[in-house]
Amino acid sequence: MENKKFFSKGELIIIFTGLVLPLLFYFSPYAQGLLIFIMMWVVLGTSWNLLAGYTGQVSFGHAAYFGVGAYTAALPFLHYKISPWWGLIAGGIMAVVIGYLLGVVVFRLRGPYFALGTLASAEILRIAFGEEEWLTNGHNGILYITTWVTKIPYYYIIFAIAVASIVSVKLLMRRREGYYFLSIREDEDAAMALGINTKKYKNISMIVSSFWAGVAGAFYFIYMGFIDSETVFALHNISIITILVGIIGGVGTIWGPAVGAIIMVLLQELFRSAIFGLAPQWVSGMHAFVFGLLVIFVILYLPGGVVGDWELIKKKLHLKSNTEK
Amino acid sequence: MKKAGKLLLVAVLGLAFVVGLNGCGKKETGPIKIGVLLPLTGSKAKFGEMEKNAYELAKEKINKNGGIDGRKLEFVYEDDTGKPDVGRAGAEKLINVDKVPLIAGGYSSSVTYAAAAVAQQYRTPFLVNTGSVDKITEPESFNLTTNDGDKFYIYRLNPPVSEYASGLEGLLKEVVKPKSVYIIHESTTFGTKGAKSFAKTAKKLGIEILGNESYSSGTVDFKPMLLNAKKANPDVVYMIAYVMDAAMLMKQARELNFQPKLYVGAGAGFTMPAFKENAGKASERVVSATLWHQTLPIPGAKEFFDAYVKKYGGDGPDYHGAEAYAAAQVVADVLKRCKGDYSKENIKKQLDATDMMTVFGPVKFTSYGKKIHQNKMQTYVVQWQDGSLKLVWPKELANAKFDYPIDWNKYWK
Repeated sequence: MENKKFFSKGELIIIFTGLVLPLLFYFSPYAQGLLIFIMMWVVLGTSWNLLAGYTGQVSFGHAAYFGVGAYTAALPFLHYKISPWWGLIAGGIMAVVIGYLLGVVVFRLRGPYFALGTLASAEILRIAFGEEEWLTNGHNGILYITTWVTKIPYYYIIFAIAVASIVSVKLLMRRREGYYFLSIREDEDAAMALGINTKKYKNISMIVSSFWAGVAGAFYFIYMGFIDSETVFALHNISIITILVGIIGGVGTIWGPAVGAIIMVLLQELFRSAIFGLAPQWVSGMHAFVFGLLVIFVILYLPGGVVGDWELIKKKLHLKSNTEK
Repeated sequence: MKKAGKLLLVAVLGLAFVVGLNGCGKKETGPIKIGVLLPLTGSKAKFGEMEKNAYELAKEKINKNGGIDGRKLEFVYEDDTGKPDVGRAGAEKLINVDKVPLIAGGYSSSVTYAAAAVAQQYRTPFLVNTGSVDKITEPESFNLTTNDGDKFYIYRLNPPVSEYASGLEGLLKEVVKPKSVYIIHESTTFGTKGAKSFAKTAKKLGIEILGNESYSSGTVDFKPMLLNAKKANPDVVYMIAYVMDAAMLMKQARELNFQPKLYVGAGAGFTMPAFKENAGKASERVVSATLWHQTLPIPGAKEFFDAYVKKYGGDGPDYHGAEAYAAAQVVADVLKRCKGDYSKENIKKQLDATDMMTVFGPVKFTSYGKKIHQNKMQTYVVQWQDGSLKLVWPKELANAKFDYPIDWNKYWK
């Protein structure tokens, strides 16, 4: 492992594809919009995957960090007309602060209790940001006339963030910390017995994870130009979709969230537009149902997700397997 | 990792294929396409459905009467699912993919507001027919001033939420004369802004506000809130809620046997047929502000109502349907005046010049206060009487007597 190059050839191809992709869709801002969302979900999925997939702390409340990042970009703009672009850094940092503080509480819990704790913390933030009108403009949301009409620059920014988040996770997982994360995931008590400071390493995982979620949130505000607490702290639309991105792509794999993001964003759009207007309107109400089926299918037949169980998929599809090893 | 790479590549190429197919759709030369943004799924789908029906009804009539200069009118619907981000994406799709020169629709306030920013940025005229938060037609919320009419692409047919209760004001002042009110509202933009402006009205009329509570949509148990209100013992309970919440509120109020002098809804859910269906007996004698009623002396109002019932059945449309139908009428009128030049700029120019009669009343985009491109309109009060919605205020237009005081025991039995 250690002597290998940081990126394999395949991975470099992916990154290169990502670089040229928007040029393929130069004349379709609609497609570019989808690509931007895919990249945003890559960041969120990667962030979640570090904490949940590698460290075993299954967060049901990633919307908390996403929302804090978004509001960190939006609030200085709302009150002092400070450019939200600063939020790309500030949002990440603020999310880390909140993540650390929440960690003090939720890391005392384990398994399902941890999941519920994170879920509750995101819900608390959603309600608080909705009610405190003097600070957040409440449910009126915050509107910002975006910097560019064209989407290309946004794509490259979020693409760079996505690559950076993947690199950061990859780096971490190659270092000693990565092995500590895995040991915590496999058996927290055994890890502690071996002398690993589990609290510290859970916090490190949380810090990196919440940072990227916060950056994604800030980007969301900069790109969308509108947030309210129901949107950015949403349980279903952010927290749950983040988990689905991770699970469908492959929990505990570097590229899983990327694959999951592509599948989820495209599926969502497919249903929202009722298969591009070819199907009757009621089809667009089916997306939650289909997500549910997809999750059941993945958990039953591909517990490792698309990336984690790629070998299995290939075998099932009778594809020739002559790569690697 | 190599395998993952290959997979990603395949997925990406698949995406390119699918989106590419969608992107290069054939160019239509026949019908004139106009975009309509509505919540067709999700919790506000009932409203979206009614408005879409009204748009379709109007379209059929327009096309039967020769269309637009011989060309057919066509509406391209985009589902905003009641969420601001989806609404924005929908507006972008209408502008970039469907290439419509004009967008109509816009249901909930926050979605409309967020989508308006997109329309403004792409310099595409947006004719709002329901989204009611005041700032939608206030250029200052889009970094413009009231003098920037030629740079401002948002037009609104319906009155802003701060004026929804203006009709109600007369009824309260002259007939009910309440001493106190308890406000319950949904914690959305529409709800909070509506509650605020009603509180202002109450203060003006010397009505004491005993409580002002908000709930978030999706709440199923309103009893704690209603018990608080019951304890405060107000003369009037004023509620701002969408349709399912409205029904639930009244049902649970009935279960608690909470009997103020009057229940008042602020439009939205309270005038919908679905409210009556879901609340049942509890909907009886509830009063609501409204922007329209089919018996109003507006040319075409009754005909629209009857045509809607004939085509779609049920209890017929409330003001939402009328708004949508009127928006379609304005669209047709504007396009006809475009005389073949369907560019965004020309459509905007013709919108500015609009001065016409619709089933919703006269439409003319004026400026006053902080607002520009805003249609000014009177509002009314309706009451559910024996299962049907009756216009009770203003008196000279009413088609039924305002039933007051109300013996709740009689209707709730």
